[in-house]
Amino acid sequence: MSVAELKERHKVATETVNSLRERLKQKRVQLLDTDVAGYARAQGKAPVTFGPTDLVCCRTLQGHTGKVYSLDWTPEKNRIVSVSQDGRFIVWNALTSQKTHAIKLPCAWVMTCAFAPNGQSVACGGLDSVCSIFNLNSPVDRDGNLPVSKMLSGHKGYVSSCQYVPDEDSRLITGSGDQTCVLWDITTGLRTSVFGGEFQSGHTADVLSVSINGSNSRMFISGSCDSTARLWDTRVASRAVHTYHGHEGDVNAVKFFPDGNRFGTGSDDGTCRLFDIRTGHELQVYYQQHGVNEIPHVTSIAFSISGRLLIAGYSNGHCIVWDTLLAQVVLNLGLLQNSHEGRISCLGVSADGSALCTGSWDTNLKIWAFGGIRRMT
Amino acid sequence: MAKVGASGFPPGEDGSPQYSFALEYEGPPVSRDLPRALPINLKHIPVAAVVAQVSVAEKLALPVVQPIGAADPLAKKVSRELGAADSTVSPTSVIQNSRESASKELDSASEIAASPAASGVAAPVPRGGGGKSSSSGNLSSSGALEFSNANCLSGELSDVVSSSRGLESSSISHEHSRELFNGAQSCSTIEFCDSFDKSAGSSRAFRVSNVGKESIDLDDSNSRLDWASSGSVLSLECPSSRKTGDCTESNHDVRRNPVVTFHDIESDGGLEEEFSREEQEVVRVKRQPQSKGKKGSCYRCFKGNRFTEKEVCLVCDAKYCSHCVLRAMGSMPEGRKCVSCIGFPIDESKRTNLGKCSRMLKRLLNDLEVKQIMKAEKLCEANQLPSEYVCVNGNPLCPEELLMLQTCPSPPKKLKPGNYWYDKVSGLWGKEGEKPSQIISPHLHVGGPIMENASNGNTQVFMNGRQITKVELRMLQLAGVQCAGNPHFWVNEDGSYQEEGQKNTKGYIWGKAGTKLLCAFLSLPVPSKSSGSHVEQSNSLLSRSVPDYVGQRMLQKILLVGYSGSGTSTIFKQVKLLYDAVPFSAEERENLKLTIQGNVYTYLGILLEGRERFEDESLSHMRKNRSSGGNDHIENQEKKSIYSIGPRLKAFSDWLLKTMVSGNLEAIFPAATREYAPLVEELWKDPAIQATYSRKNELEMLPTIANYFLERAVDILRLDYDPSDLDILYSEGVISSNGLACVDFSFPQSAPDDYTDSMDQHDSLLRYQLIRVNARGLGENCKWLDMFEDVGLVTFCVSLSDYDKYTPDANGSLTNNMILSRRFFESIVAHPTFDQMDFLLMLTKFDLFEEEVEQVPLTECEWFDDFHPLVSSHRSNSRSNSINYSPTLGQLGFHYVAVKFKRLYASLTGRNLYVALVKGLEPDSVDAALKYAREILKWDEERVNFSLSEYSMYSTEGSS
Repeated sequence: MSVAELKERHKVATETVNSLRERLKQKRVQLLDTDVAGYARAQGKAPVTFGPTDLVCCRTLQGHTGKVYSLDWTPEKNRIVSVSQDGRFIVWNALTSQKTHAIKLPCAWVMTCAFAPNGQSVACGGLDSVCSIFNLNSPVDRDGNLPVSKMLSGHKGYVSSCQYVPDEDSRLITGSGDQTCVLWDITTGLRTSVFGGEFQSGHTADVLSVSINGSNSRMFISGSCDSTARLWDTRVASRAVHTYHGHEGDVNAVKFFPDGNRFGTGSDDGTCRLFDIRTGHELQVYYQQHGVNEIPHVTSIAFSISGRLLIAGYSNGHCIVWDTLLAQVVLNLGLLQNSHEGRISCLGVSADGSALCTGSWDTNLKIWAFGGIRRMT
Repeated sequence: MAKVGASGFPPGEDGSPQYSFALEYEGPPVSRDLPRALPINLKHIPVAAVVAQVSVAEKLALPVVQPIGAADPLAKKVSRELGAADSTVSPTSVIQNSRESASKELDSASEIAASPAASGVAAPVPRGGGGKSSSSGNLSSSGALEFSNANCLSGELSDVVSSSRGLESSSISHEHSRELFNGAQSCSTIEFCDSFDKSAGSSRAFRVSNVGKESIDLDDSNSRLDWASSGSVLSLECPSSRKTGDCTESNHDVRRNPVVTFHDIESDGGLEEEFSREEQEVVRVKRQPQSKGKKGSCYRCFKGNRFTEKEVCLVCDAKYCSHCVLRAMGSMPEGRKCVSCIGFPIDESKRTNLGKCSRMLKRLLNDLEVKQIMKAEKLCEANQLPSEYVCVNGNPLCPEELLMLQTCPSPPKKLKPGNYWYDKVSGLWGKEGEKPSQIISPHLHVGGPIMENASNGNTQVFMNGRQITKVELRMLQLAGVQCAGNPHFWVNEDGSYQEEGQKNTKGYIWGKAGTKLLCAFLSLPVPSKSSGSHVEQSNSLLSRSVPDYVGQRMLQKILLVGYSGSGTSTIFKQVKLLYDAVPFSAEERENLKLTIQGNVYTYLGILLEGRERFEDESLSHMRKNRSSGGNDHIENQEKKSIYSIGPRLKAFSDWLLKTMVSGNLEAIFPAATREYAPLVEELWKDPAIQATYSRKNELEMLPTIANYFLERAVDILRLDYDPSDLDILYSEGVISSNGLACVDFSFPQSAPDDYTDSMDQHDSLLRYQLIRVNARGLGENCKWLDMFEDVGLVTFCVSLSDYDKYTPDANGSLTNNMILSRRFFESIVAHPTFDQMDFLLMLTKFDLFEEEVEQVPLTECEWFDDFHPLVSSHRSNSRSNSINYSPTLGQLGFHYVAVKFKRLYASLTGRNLYVALVKGLEPDSVDAALKYAREILKWDEERVNFSLSEYSMYSTEGSS
């Protein structure tokens, strides 16, 4: 078979794929007769309303000297790890708002961090293309720095996100600028499986975010600069289970809905969306109208424990609490008196759902929680 | 209005100076309206008006304020708010009294809010009639209210604003505080006095303090509750107390008005700064009576007495009990300071306490947390000794000098603010007017020249220009130094001394064993051991860790980017070799060796592949010949060509190719090297390989640098091969290509010229960090470029020789590499992070370019299609003739490309692009380019010092 012939066939095949994709899209539009908000309204659901004290900033964690890029809560609910452009990761006690560790990282350009399920170690990744694991219990050296206990190297691009597999301290999933996600075995430091990359069903641009299904830790979602999100099964590395189209910009954040059957995304196009993993449908778009050229990017998202609230951080410093059911803004933390002064870069809800932590480019982290009187009825 | 009208007419008729920046228009009449350049009337420019700020406050207050007692939050009638304040039930009549007085003052505050211009006039009124007498007199139980007078901010517009905001909420705050404090209402009102003392009078500071309060308040009463319960029980105080703070503040404002009337409403930042300084002083003084008012109570909750354990703020001396300390001090990013004191220098009298933890903190927090706080306290920048407080030889130090002093091998112990003298020659150090207390490192460029009377001696004996004290003289005499006749000594750091004007050393002060003992007896300093030898000194200087904050300040970052293949890695390696004392550690060198050897095997593989192809070709060719000729049958039967190799080599070649195809060359090679080294030698010497190598131009896979290594393949593949610097420069994939690499360096000090002044001293402290990022890792969208907003300069590399190279893209169509580079350049330059960044364009691979441009015209790249160099007709002659020098085609091409990029950059940013020509393989060339980068960075710092006119000159340069 000659090269010309092959090229011809390739062209034809590409056209077929594209036309099929278009048809699929049309079919989806046909089938999608309503969205969550429309249905909920029809059912007469009342929107969530917040009183002035229902979510207030109750602590400010000061100590970073650079932009905060990422944070993570421990499952044991009162500790937070955050990384910043000052090249440090800080472990905070959220209750006393004190630091317990402030460790200088070998590479200052860090983008992500994660707490191990047991709360004993921290993973950080960044532009050095390595995911470094620090054991918080190991002794510090002369300058007060922790030695890196494991280097997970193998990515060919920056490590944009990492998350420990729930309840497994030795397994970690990273997303990277080399368009792949990798499942690591931390004890050996080797890659267990690589998702995407050479395979056709992988992402075609940098992976920016990963989220592991809380109820079924074999499934995880990745969001990418190719404006898609993909669902992966850790047992089947060869191809993505599903690809979710819909966004018109880089997907900066993905997060599984608490029930594990849906997931939310946040994107550079200024929207958050809710997808159903089984049908592949886009269930809802969360978007606030803005000026044409001033669309703030969604940088990070999180769900409340019940899933009724979607909290999204925006590049203009806003942090909007959405009612997932009615797609209405419940509260904008960015408009409160003591909100962050810079872009909200990361946020996370504590494991028990009682508090929200936001990290910002203004170098501070803030903890938001219920601040009123709970009436016992 | 009249002014505006008048200013529309040209001046000049009425004798005012005439400006001739425009000629009178004399052409035909113009049909359309001409835009008129009206002079700007400064007074009519809308500035942020007072009222506007009030409205902002309303907006801000909206989401939070839902006064329970008051009716409508939107109706911001001050009178109603006052009513709310009045209606608050307070348990003690005394406090009630004060509240009333406060509310009176609030009234006046509202007046101020309404007509800020009149504040100066209105202000004194409340003071006279207002609560001063009533509150301070009656409130003996809580002296804090009185103390709150010490709060000196106010006068600020924002204060007025926030006061109105506070007013609305006053009622709610009392509601809450009553619930919380069981009637100890006064607490809630007063508790924030301390923090407001210091909030520097700017609205920003207020915000900080607000923030701080919230973070504190959740901790209330039992901070050890778990999250959920503390959230529900305590956080209710949050919003309320915030408002309480504002409310109190408003009270203060009003009371302080008389003090502040001289504050102009338009007082800007600089003024504020000044005043806040003053205020702090005032606060410190005024604080004393307050603490006497109620002895030793906590500044926040006013409970406890002087015997209860308390933590003290390092800045403002506020004392907090164990319940309040975490709330008052927040997350303590700078150690034990009130939240509102963060960022302020500490009280000098507390310097000795830095990093010494109290028992209370240890009880409240766990070990790790305490350690972090103490570390932050000791090492954060705000807590360092302010350099201007230390005078050496009569000159206050600048920060760099202080740093030098503190980081020298034997620094002065326990440096406190004060006046010192320092003998630079001998290293003697002492307090001004006193005998020497220590011998520190000599030859530090700190302070001025030593004064004759520095140590206030009266012995007529001089040592390095200083009249020594009696004790010293006694020591000298006992040490056997001839001191008769009031000699002038010249003492070196090693203790050798000579008389002034004479060359011969007369002896060593420390020569005798007894001298040191004697010195100890006379409490005179003896040289420390560390200053013994110079070698040791320099070593310790290197190893001595510079504090973080200093490192940050002294580090200039240079970002090195470029499209792949643009020579960034070569420059990076060259920098490492140039400036790093140990460019590559032994381990790194071992890795380098393996990488290089692996590369050579790859090249060999390509050669072998080519050999196979050539063999096939030649065989088929021969076959063709044979079939056509048919005669030389017998000779060709052996199926041999010059490209054929023996069976042993063939096996090796097959194996190598197979490994390469399967892609695990790296996995196998380090081990295999040993085994195959002799085989490689044999292979290389084989005529077939040599024949293939001679046709290397036909092997597209072979990179150009492969020649360099293949020529020396036999050497390199030996076991004991040690890569030379040049090998490292040439090699590929030596530094991590998929991530980011950075190297810290400083320019080695040039030969000590006479004119090198203290400026260069500071330069030696300046460190540079070269950060190299791979273009591939950057991606098209430059997702993380915002991480590099703190770099001082972006260096963009473009390979000149790229103009005739092409890269296939995803669709298979070829794109010129130069165009790709340009695209990348445009995306980087246009990135918002680098809005005001300076760019240095490094045009690399000039050596290759010079060769190529002779063969392939520069117009090969469509961007350069208007390159028509004026080539002199007798170029060959002029080249040999140095007098008649005309630039080579390569140089012309370089200038042309540089101008192309400059124009592109100017069209994108309107600024000037710096360009340097670099040959990555030549150390001098890279050195020169980096020194150029340093000059740009320096100029960047200096630029602010130049006046506007200078700037306009600069901008025209950019647009040209």
